[in-house]
Amino acid sequence: MKYIVETRGLSKSYGNKQVVNNVNLKVPKGCVYGFMGPNGAGKSTTLKMLLGLVKAGGGTALIDGREMNQKNRLEILKETGSLIESPSYYGHLTGRENLEIVRTLKNAPEKEVEQVLKLVRMERQQDKKTKEYSLGMKQRLGLAAALIGKPQLLLLDEPTNGLDPSGIQEIRELICELPKRTGMTVLVSSHLLSEMDQMADYVGIINHGQLIFQDKLEALHEHSKSKLLLRVMNRTAALKILENSGTEGRVTEEGILIPSLSDDQAANLVSALAAGGAGLYRVEERQKSLEDIFLSLTGRRASL
Amino acid sequence: MMREWKTEWMKLRRRKAGLLLLAFLGFTALWCAWILSDADAGDLLDGYRWIFSNLSMINTILLPTMLSMLASRLCDMEIKGNTLKLLCTMEKKGRLFDMKLLTGGLYLILYVGAELVLLFLGGVALGFGEPMQPRHILYFLIQNVTVSLVIYLLQVMLSFRFENQIIPLAAGIFGSFIGLFSWFFSADSLFRWIFVWGYYSLLHFIGSNWDEKTRVISFYDTEPDWGALALVLALLIGGYLLGKYLFIRKEI
Repeated sequence: MKYIVETRGLSKSYGNKQVVNNVNLKVPKGCVYGFMGPNGAGKSTTLKMLLGLVKAGGGTALIDGREMNQKNRLEILKETGSLIESPSYYGHLTGRENLEIVRTLKNAPEKEVEQVLKLVRMERQQDKKTKEYSLGMKQRLGLAAALIGKPQLLLLDEPTNGLDPSGIQEIRELICELPKRTGMTVLVSSHLLSEMDQMADYVGIINHGQLIFQDKLEALHEHSKSKLLLRVMNRTAALKILENSGTEGRVTEEGILIPSLSDDQAANLVSALAAGGAGLYRVEERQKSLEDIFLSLTGRRASL
Repeated sequence: MMREWKTEWMKLRRRKAGLLLLAFLGFTALWCAWILSDADAGDLLDGYRWIFSNLSMINTILLPTMLSMLASRLCDMEIKGNTLKLLCTMEKKGRLFDMKLLTGGLYLILYVGAELVLLFLGGVALGFGEPMQPRHILYFLIQNVTVSLVIYLLQVMLSFRFENQIIPLAAGIFGSFIGLFSWFFSADSLFRWIFVWGYYSLLHFIGSNWDEKTRVISFYDTEPDWGALALVLALLIGGYLLGKYLFIRKEI
């Protein structure tokens, strides 16, 4: 598989604190890659290192197969658009004037300003000073600036932060559209799992600076396969019956957790448990939510 | 390079940096007009030396404050708008620093040039006895451009360093006072040498004699302190290299 972003042992520390630790990102071309993690996990620092805004303490970053260094950084970044944390803008200038500055620096054709304004649906607000924009409009302007120069890779750091629900929906739709419409790859970070669930094809989860999961979103969903929780009066008897029937059971505080069964298998097992004196009084289906998976991976409830 | 230069001017739209300089220029012109208002025919004979002598002190007072405001106008828009993290993906960090210096430097040269033009026109209108001498023009440029560039460099560094622009502006006002006080110390006084704002007085090129009997001041040409100029140039180069290094090193 061809990766547009690949990092090898990317690390960064501030003093004694290791902010990013040996991260090996693999972002396939043409997808939306959700980079998740709780606040302070190291997402922004990783993205800043990819853009060369923060000097990596160790490891390498390859963008489209080319190892980035101080000499070729700007040349590689010509193919990259970014929106890191809060949007960048000159408040005394109009939206269009802001985009003209980016266009001039990127040496992009004049018509691109028009195109990106249309793409982010800001044609009508383009002549208004940006200091008068709402946060949502500023984010859209930031996204428009990132899209100038038709980048192959878009790095977005928490692009929906501070937006109202309709603004979030709008940005989300835009992000999902981009790979389909332009073929670009979007690497988007967020601490909101539900958001990633709706946007991403691939996910990477970072926690305490370490990448603890990286795969397709479906692979993450695999972890959420349902299980059955058996609530019984006599756990010893129930475990013996399960053992005899070849079903693996795990004792938890609430009861005994067993893998999901077909209807026939479930009916047989319930009969066996009832007949065997296990005192079965309840069978519950337990589905692990993505949030549960995230929590089990990160061990944190913060910001979810 | 030209693209970055062009964008600096695009950013300055509606920033009223030119208006700021015009306001200071107007104030300086009024100050000079007030000085000249009680001049008699004898004073006007050596009008250029007289005005150059006063203008050097006026600039010592006004330029540090003006430069702090100019640097703030040019730099705080990058801080306020969080633009560095965007700009630095499109242009070299060091280049951005250079552009701020070049833009401010150009404004400064235009300002000092405008002062000279106004002075020349004023001299023609009022009929100054002697023509403006090229050495006066040269020394005036040396005095005001070199020292002001060092001050501007310092102000750019402060404006980028502090989000709250009160601190750089306070430094500018502090410099104005230091510069003014430096005129009341002798040329070999340490006070004049340890503060960069004191170098306006060290590079002054008009001397004066006060005759108590006739109550007349006569002006004569002197050489600026060349040692001070060498030190200013060393400060300019060293300050530039240090400022750029710190700016590049700073993580965004």
